[in-house]
Amino acid sequence: MHRLLLSTAATLTLALPAFAQDVAVITPYLAQPGTQFYVDAFSERADALGWDVNVVDTAGDVAAVISRIEDAVTQGVDAIVINVDPAQVGAGLQVAADAGIPVVGMDAGSDPLLAVNVTSDGVEMAAETANFVIDAIGGAGNVVMFTFDPFPPVQIRGAEADRIFAEHDGITVIDRITPDVSDGGIADSRAQMEAVLAANPDAGSINAVWAAWDQPALGALQAIEAAGREGEGIVITGIDANPQARDEVAKGGNFKATVAQDFAGIGAAAADAVATLLDGGSFDSDAIFVPTVLITADNAAE
Amino acid sequence: MTLLRRSASLIGMVAIIVFFSVMKPATFPTLGNWLNISQQVSMLLVVSVAMTVVMAMGDFDLSVGAMASLAGVVAAVMFKAGFGMVPALGTALVVGVAAGVANGMLVSLAGILPFIATLATMTVLSGAAFIVSDGRTISGADIPAAFGDFARSGIAIGQDGTRVLRIPSLTIVALAVTAALWLVMEQTSYGRRLYAIGGNAEAARLAGVRVVALRLSAFVFTGAGAAIAGLMYASRVASANPIQGDGLMLTAIAAVFLGQSLTESGQPRVLATLAGVVVLGALDNGLTQMRVDSYVRQVLVGLIILLAVGASALARRRGRAG
Amino acid sequence: MTLALEDVSRNYGPVQALRGVSLMLRPGEVHALMGENGAGKSTLIRLLAGLEQPNRGWVMIDGQPVVLARPEAAQAHGLRFIHQEMHVVPTLSVAENMHLHRPFPRRAGLINWRELRRRARVALDALGLDHIDPAVPMLRLGLGDRMLCRIATTLIGKDRARYIIMDEPTAALTGAESERLFAVIRDLRAQGVGVLYVSHRIAEVMALADRVTVLRDGARISSHVRGDTDQARLIHEMTGRDLSDLYPPRPAPPDTPPVLRIEGLRAGPLHDISLAVAPGEVLGLAGLAGAGRGELLRALVGAIPRKGNVTLAGTPLPPADPAAAWAAGVAYIPRERRVEGLMMLRPIVENVALPHLDRLARARLFLDRAAERRLLAQRGAEVRLKAGGPQALPVTLSGGNQQKVLFARAVGGAPRLLLLDEPTRGVDVGARHDLYRVIRALAAQGVAVILASSDLQEVIGLADRIVVLQGGRIAHLVRNEGLAEGDLLTMCYDRPAA
Repeated sequence: MHRLLLSTAATLTLALPAFAQDVAVITPYLAQPGTQFYVDAFSERADALGWDVNVVDTAGDVAAVISRIEDAVTQGVDAIVINVDPAQVGAGLQVAADAGIPVVGMDAGSDPLLAVNVTSDGVEMAAETANFVIDAIGGAGNVVMFTFDPFPPVQIRGAEADRIFAEHDGITVIDRITPDVSDGGIADSRAQMEAVLAANPDAGSINAVWAAWDQPALGALQAIEAAGREGEGIVITGIDANPQARDEVAKGGNFKATVAQDFAGIGAAAADAVATLLDGGSFDSDAIFVPTVLITADNAAE
Repeated sequence: MTLLRRSASLIGMVAIIVFFSVMKPATFPTLGNWLNISQQVSMLLVVSVAMTVVMAMGDFDLSVGAMASLAGVVAAVMFKAGFGMVPALGTALVVGVAAGVANGMLVSLAGILPFIATLATMTVLSGAAFIVSDGRTISGADIPAAFGDFARSGIAIGQDGTRVLRIPSLTIVALAVTAALWLVMEQTSYGRRLYAIGGNAEAARLAGVRVVALRLSAFVFTGAGAAIAGLMYASRVASANPIQGDGLMLTAIAAVFLGQSLTESGQPRVLATLAGVVVLGALDNGLTQMRVDSYVRQVLVGLIILLAVGASALARRRGRAG
Repeated sequence: MTLALEDVSRNYGPVQALRGVSLMLRPGEVHALMGENGAGKSTLIRLLAGLEQPNRGWVMIDGQPVVLARPEAAQAHGLRFIHQEMHVVPTLSVAENMHLHRPFPRRAGLINWRELRRRARVALDALGLDHIDPAVPMLRLGLGDRMLCRIATTLIGKDRARYIIMDEPTAALTGAESERLFAVIRDLRAQGVGVLYVSHRIAEVMALADRVTVLRDGARISSHVRGDTDQARLIHEMTGRDLSDLYPPRPAPPDTPPVLRIEGLRAGPLHDISLAVAPGEVLGLAGLAGAGRGELLRALVGAIPRKGNVTLAGTPLPPADPAAAWAAGVAYIPRERRVEGLMMLRPIVENVALPHLDRLARARLFLDRAAERRLLAQRGAEVRLKAGGPQALPVTLSGGNQQKVLFARAVGGAPRLLLLDEPTRGVDVGARHDLYRVIRALAAQGVAVILASSDLQEVIGLADRIVVLQGGRIAHLVRNEGLAEGDLLTMCYDRPAA
């Protein structure tokens, strides 16, 4: 069935070469590394399909995402892809729905006004690293968490980790930090971690750092190394497996694990979802999950 | 010379509108699109005209963005706690007024430079927004449907094909705030005195203007305006997070600067600020429709501001020499 | 060895700024150039500075015509310019400021600070300026000393100045600073420098200049050598009007009870000031710089805090509240009109209406622009203000008309007490005459006037009684009968008999 739909899409695209499809990709977070991977992969697939893609970045302004959705609707695009919490841009989604223009979420969140949301399973990723931490420190110890609740996909990771740590009586969360991410998150995370280290000077008083994404994990690593406490066996985990994080995991130091989202896979799958919709197809579920991989010293180099 | 500079800026602004109308004749110069633009810039307009009040005195308020964020999360948290519309919105406005009083006291009583004082309060308010919201986005069922629906409502004025044309409620709010501040700034002795302070604070004081009290009070307008804008933003996105209004501050200052290039001797004026906001909104809307890359768009907007402000500074300098 | 203008004309479109002016400046002489605002003095300076070119005629140096196409060309011919506003870097030392436009002395590639200071010291000593320390930051120096440093700078090194053109140099200086400047100018003359001294202050020119040239409406009206002319004649030549007497006649002071009573006032440098001023009386405030003239006025209007009792028409004036003072009928014209008086970029109608908005506005709140314009038209006519309409900006007006804007503001609310701090500083003779008439006319209407001025002639010309301040205390209080300038100057220095 799926295969049939795809081949129909290909046929239709080939049959109507003169009318390139207009697709607008609207995101407030293009400067985030993950977002760039999605968008690049999406664009690559879109180019192959002969679409005309316009990428709009509102530099963190969510209301502007609504405005740009309205503009794209006015301009009469064929489909819109967003990368923001759909609950916050409901006004724009409604305008698109009224105009009959389909909107696909790319790691956005589920919403009745979205045709479908393509994402990694954030809950699963958080569970993987949280359980990794618990195993690595033998089921008991003090954990520092780095989270960022304003961004929903990261928030659910934090919530899942909260749940898992709470289930284990031996685990104590001694600090739950929301770093300032305006400069990328590493610098402020490092500063915050330095404060935590200063407050817990004894070896063994901190057993692990669980970060909801890689930047705070890297910041924490820098703080631990700068404090000369890398020998205490503090376990650090991140999520996203960005290149710097992979390098650190491969070195076999404190940074023990991260989870690779398949950003490119999400981007490509989002493009496939758009293609399906443009052919008049639809989806049974409101989310398409793209698989993730736990990265440890064993497979970091791959 | 002044006339030339003012009309040069005006011609430039009109040229931008004409350009988009020619390039996108079917979608840009339509009533529906302009109603869209009016809604898109409504929050910026409120912050910008409120900013005009303090900039007329030669002061600044860098805390407006953080204030807008805080107002949004305050209302949202109160919604979540089960309060109704009136107490939630009322509290957010009171916080805005209180922050304005604090800014005013720091600048006018303590004599701290506005740049430094409001930079500090910006940080404080931003931190407060994180504390109040616990760093989370408050959305979905926590926000009453009526609050989010307000931003989607409007007064129906006609039909465009299948689509009902509405003057958006946010547009109406923004225009009401603009009209009120225009009245205050341009038609009352209060506004005249603020302009006098901007013209020469010491001279104004020696001529019987109560500079300290007036400066303090002017920041209250800005704080309240920022809070209103923050509530409008929260209504538009039917949610609130502790950073969502932050970007308004720089854009608002840009809008006031752009407007200044239209006025005699380059002073901030309420209606000039309105023109500045409209041009910025039209740029965003038009360039999106023309599918110009976001980053190119930012560069263009920055260059246009530089051009307008630079041309007016240049003309003023030449005017003085000649 | 001369600098000369030969039959020079310059027009801006139809406006003829200079018409066939000839003028010669010899080394070792002070040549004063006089004229009202708009007479062509500024244009002439700009031609010499290489900022403008003549449409006709020549600039000659040592008998050879030269083209001063750029400021650098004027520099190269040994011309230097001293303006009333000094551009200095306040945080750098005096010595560094004196070397801003020339190479710093170096040793082994590094700046030789000792040599830098030595050169500055030599230049300062050459003009007898041994009170200035080259090592202190410029910001510690007053306006007068900054100007003297600037003059000393022109004498450093091989390319020392041959001709120095000074444009209204005393406009912003105190009496003492001016005296010091005059001493330096005489020193320059003795060292063979030619000084072109542009001013409209007759007393200075008469005291200083070897020759005087008067310009009016772009043309040269006359030239005189020292001792060949007098004040009345110069005024006549500058204004084209016969100002047989610059000061209006003083009627006998009225015999009425005082409207202003000051008892035991203390503020800033002032101690124990007790005074009473009657309606219709002009009280002159004289004294050296730092004696507290301006501070007394500022304390009365509430611009600086004060202690002691001050009543106006029987009602106490609240201290430290200029708004209340204006409301009670005090009008104040501050010393620095551009810094403390005017909003230079706001229309003159707003400048004039500002203290009277409560009265002019409807319901004390909503602006009545027609009423504001009526006020400007009426008061502007009284003070003979000339400006291009109510929306004209003060920045476009001459010094005299700027001051008239402040007078129109001051009289706009029918004041009981008028406080004037250096009301004619930098104002040309014609406008001064207008302002003096206004002051006298107000007194005739029963306004009490306090006039603080460093121009002793002005005080003698206008005041009914004169207070001389010394070190913040009243040293003398005299009736202005048969006083000469010298008498008053003596009072400024002399301790009174106990």
